Amino acid sequence: MNCESASKCRVTAFMTSSLGKKFTVGAAGLLLCGFLLVHLAGNMFLFVGEGAFNHYAELLAHNELLPLAEAVLALLFIAHIVFAIKVRFENAGARPVAYESYDDKGGRTMGSKSMSYTAALVLLFVIVHLKTFRFGDDKDGLYKLVVDWFHNPLYAGFYVVALAGLGLHLSHGFQSGFQTLGLNHPKYTPIIRKLSIAFALLIFLGFASMPIYFGFLGGPR
Amino acid sequence: MKLTLKVWRQKGHNDKGSLVEYQAKDVSPDMSFLEMLDVVNEGLIKKGEDAIAFDSDCREGICGMCSLVINGKPHGPELGTATCQLHMRTFSDGDTIVVEPFRARAFPPVKDLAVDRSSFDRIMQAGGYVSVNTGNAPEANANLISHHTAEKAMDAAACIGCGACVAACPNASAMLFVAAKVSQYALLPQGQPERAKRAMAMREAMDDEGFGNCSNEYACEAACPKDIKVENIARLNREHLRAMICSDE
Amino acid sequence: MTLKLDGKVPEGPIEKKWDNHKFNLKLVNPANKRKYDILVVGTGLAGASAAASLAELGYNVKVFCIQDSPRRAHSIAAQGGINAAKNYPNDGDSVWRLFYDTVKGGDFRAREANVYRLAQVSASIIDQCVAQGVPFAREYGGTLSNRSFGGAQVSRTFYARGQTGQQLLLGAYSALMRQVGLGTVEMYPRREMLELVVEDGAARGIVCRDLTTGKVESYAGHAVLLCTGGYGNVFYLSTNAASCNVSATWRAHKHGALFANPCYTQIHPTCIPVSGDHQSKLTLMSESLRNDGRVWVPKKKGDKRSPETIPEDERDYYLERKYPSFGNLVPRDVASRNAKQMIDDGKGVGETGLSVYLDFSDAIKRLGLDKIKEKYGNLFDMYHHITAEDPYKVPMRIYPAVHYTMGGLWVDYNLMTTIPGLFCLGEANFSDHGANRLGASALMQGLSDGYFVLPYTVGDYIARTKLEKIDGSHSEFARSEAGVAELTARLLGVQGHRTVDWFHRRLGKIMWDDCGMSRTAVGLESAIGQIRELREEYWKDVKVAGSADDLNQSLEKAGRVADFFELGELMCLDALHRKESCGGHFREEYQTPDGEAKRDDQNYSYAAAWEFKGVGKEPELHKEPLTFENVHLAERNYA
Repeated sequence: MNCESASKCRVTAFMTSSLGKKFTVGAAGLLLCGFLLVHLAGNMFLFVGEGAFNHYAELLAHNELLPLAEAVLALLFIAHIVFAIKVRFENAGARPVAYESYDDKGGRTMGSKSMSYTAALVLLFVIVHLKTFRFGDDKDGLYKLVVDWFHNPLYAGFYVVALAGLGLHLSHGFQSGFQTLGLNHPKYTPIIRKLSIAFALLIFLGFASMPIYFGFLGGPR
Repeated sequence: MKLTLKVWRQKGHNDKGSLVEYQAKDVSPDMSFLEMLDVVNEGLIKKGEDAIAFDSDCREGICGMCSLVINGKPHGPELGTATCQLHMRTFSDGDTIVVEPFRARAFPPVKDLAVDRSSFDRIMQAGGYVSVNTGNAPEANANLISHHTAEKAMDAAACIGCGACVAACPNASAMLFVAAKVSQYALLPQGQPERAKRAMAMREAMDDEGFGNCSNEYACEAACPKDIKVENIARLNREHLRAMICSDE
Repeated sequence: MTLKLDGKVPEGPIEKKWDNHKFNLKLVNPANKRKYDILVVGTGLAGASAAASLAELGYNVKVFCIQDSPRRAHSIAAQGGINAAKNYPNDGDSVWRLFYDTVKGGDFRAREANVYRLAQVSASIIDQCVAQGVPFAREYGGTLSNRSFGGAQVSRTFYARGQTGQQLLLGAYSALMRQVGLGTVEMYPRREMLELVVEDGAARGIVCRDLTTGKVESYAGHAVLLCTGGYGNVFYLSTNAASCNVSATWRAHKHGALFANPCYTQIHPTCIPVSGDHQSKLTLMSESLRNDGRVWVPKKKGDKRSPETIPEDERDYYLERKYPSFGNLVPRDVASRNAKQMIDDGKGVGETGLSVYLDFSDAIKRLGLDKIKEKYGNLFDMYHHITAEDPYKVPMRIYPAVHYTMGGLWVDYNLMTTIPGLFCLGEANFSDHGANRLGASALMQGLSDGYFVLPYTVGDYIARTKLEKIDGSHSEFARSEAGVAELTARLLGVQGHRTVDWFHRRLGKIMWDDCGMSRTAVGLESAIGQIRELREEYWKDVKVAGSADDLNQSLEKAGRVADFFELGELMCLDALHRKESCGGHFREEYQTPDGEAKRDDQNYSYAAAWEFKGVGKEPELHKEPLTFENVHLAERNYA
């Protein structure tokens, strides 16, 4: 490899290796999990009321570090997606002739089997979500924008389905991230695997509670 | 027992294969799966037809030569068992059984159910050893190794190199195989001098052979006839990361 | 040509022989080593260790194996362990004691000097394997763990769970892979050696068949090492792997390499019994089971009651009855022979009547279920898995099976056969175990030959011999290739009615009945007649389907079985000529009043090395006298 310096060469070598690509997907994924938690906490202001929520949104919007945070977030997203897609296509090529019948003997879960599909769904969701809320018209306050959209049952329905996809994605992805980073221990791994399901449920139920509340349970405008 | 077999037949590497149906009659439940195929083959040979080619050798679950994906499962439905130790009592009279080879780009077909797993040997050549020439060894008890460590190394070393992990993996990844070897040496003091180099070299060889990437679905662990654990894969991830970041080799 | 067997045993006291010899061996200049090509056939413990060690020295090595990878060789299936005179447990072991036990265990039919050297290098083998990262069992303090094995009085056996053979082989395999990676070894998997090429009286190459393409290929070299294992599969059913065969050594035998002591066969008493005609192999269970299990059969012939309903006084614990001091722990051959006797008397149990009980109910009562589980759990599980019977509830059923063949190509102290440049290592040679092998000694011998003996002696041969460089285009190779092609065509051309397996099963039955655990002159003579007839029928009625130019496993088997016919006859001849009982060779006519093997040291204290004279022709016997200067001849007695 033609590299300017040995250390740069090592980075390139790592990033192009199977384990390096996986590491990137895993590390970015886990960091995104952290983002989800913070995001969820913030969204809970929705249940407190219009004032509280809008105040929180304003605070966030006027924070000088927001562009930086968004850039990092975007980068994480892109890295996670680009490397995952790369890995996915390589994997498809690793078995050119498919089995006539294929059935695993265990290990795989609904979450793990559906990773590509849930990934596509989540990506679609993120695009829709950004378009409606991040770049939507919030001159009457973000609260109104959000709650209005959530009162549209079609939109709320899509939201819930997409979040279920995200949950499924996380049920595998969360613990998978630890494994990829090499964090496996006979004592803690069983806990991490359970935690993965719990985290997925938390994210799904937490985020889905809002469209469900406003869209289907008659939450106030 | 009477069974219907759908067996993958493929003349050679460049031919297109397909499933061919055979009837297996008078199958005894005490037969091993391979003995059942032996009987089918004897019938074919008597009729002057080419016997079904499949790999097997020790027939006691240790050489790793037998393979076969049976009804979609590497080494058949039983856990912790190689095909040669799978008995027909696992199946029921009248069953239809689909028999296919281990499939992966890095395991090119040889004939029928036999595939070429020499990619594993090449990965081993890249670093699956301790560089010690004959005669160079220090006294065996000079290095103390705790009972626990020796047992863990043995757990990893129990790998028979059959390739079921690759066959089971939705991505045809060889991580469990490579991880078992890297782990054995990473755990033992004898493996320390080449620890970083080994992890990098074996990973590189694995990538070069065209195996897929690990997506942590653990189908490999479930299919492994020797119960090699995926904690070894995490160790390989660690070893590799450590080697790439910390080592200046 | 009259052959004079010279064992080339060095002068001097036995403790000094190997050291003196090493000093007297000529060396090859380090810079010249890469100019010499060495062909190694087989990648078990002997082959893999020899190939790796020779490559480390600088030779140019080519390695051939029949399986898809060198790691699959049948050494991998050895369970118990490997002996070494380390004396770590401080229980009085020494090189001398290991030497003594091995000679005595071999019933005084091995060459003393070879056995002493084996015991001498045994400790280095353990050092080497540990350095390679073989995960031997350890004590809590971190030192290597030892156990007593096969009735030895000292604990000298090193082990890696029940997979010692696997771990040692993977150690040698990894050393071999390292050399392949370094470019000093060229690896040829899925190749079967079908001919030895002898030029000007020296072994100069081999002809093999690429098993995937059917291509017949020639390889030339300066020395050829046969590390091709034993021939237990002549019995059809044995604990050997499917591809274990005699063809490489047999075809060398036909070129003039003498075959020694072919009749010495080790039969292991604790195997899982045959369940039907379809059976392709027998599975061994560790004989440690006899430490706690009690062997018995019903007193009444043909008693078909289930074992738990047979009252105590209607059971015959025959080993305890006949050998009160050793009981169930009598040596392998005694236990095997007695089982056969009970079965021949119609007292066998199980559906086929071909097994005896090994009962743990007393041990479970005495030690508790947990203790038995801890000691034998994996073996019980294996048994349960294969037979679908739960040995915790019903007694195990066991039957003896062919396990190891002590005979093989005759070699001198340098492990060279009677063909210059042709070496033979491991189970394939006849050298170290005499008439019977001790438990945990096979692994020791394979690695001793490969790591520590052959690298010295091959160098000596090369340094002393002027060898022209030749390649595969030489006329002798063309002739051999044509011979191989002709044999293949002949096998495919018969197009009879019976499969190779059918013939193999027949041959195995004859061998098992008349050349198995106990032999008689009448039986052996009849066996020779039957084998000849069956062989003739084989060449008229065998059916081999498929073609010669791709993977054709029935064709592969056909060639191997053809050789087994010829070997089987020689085994019977050897057994017939040896009018004594010793180790794995029991002639019913020669036993003590208690039914023990009776040696005839006066007349049979020699290795019987046979020279091939043509198929169906009487082979010529050459004798290498065995003298025992260091170990006193003694009779085995277990009563």
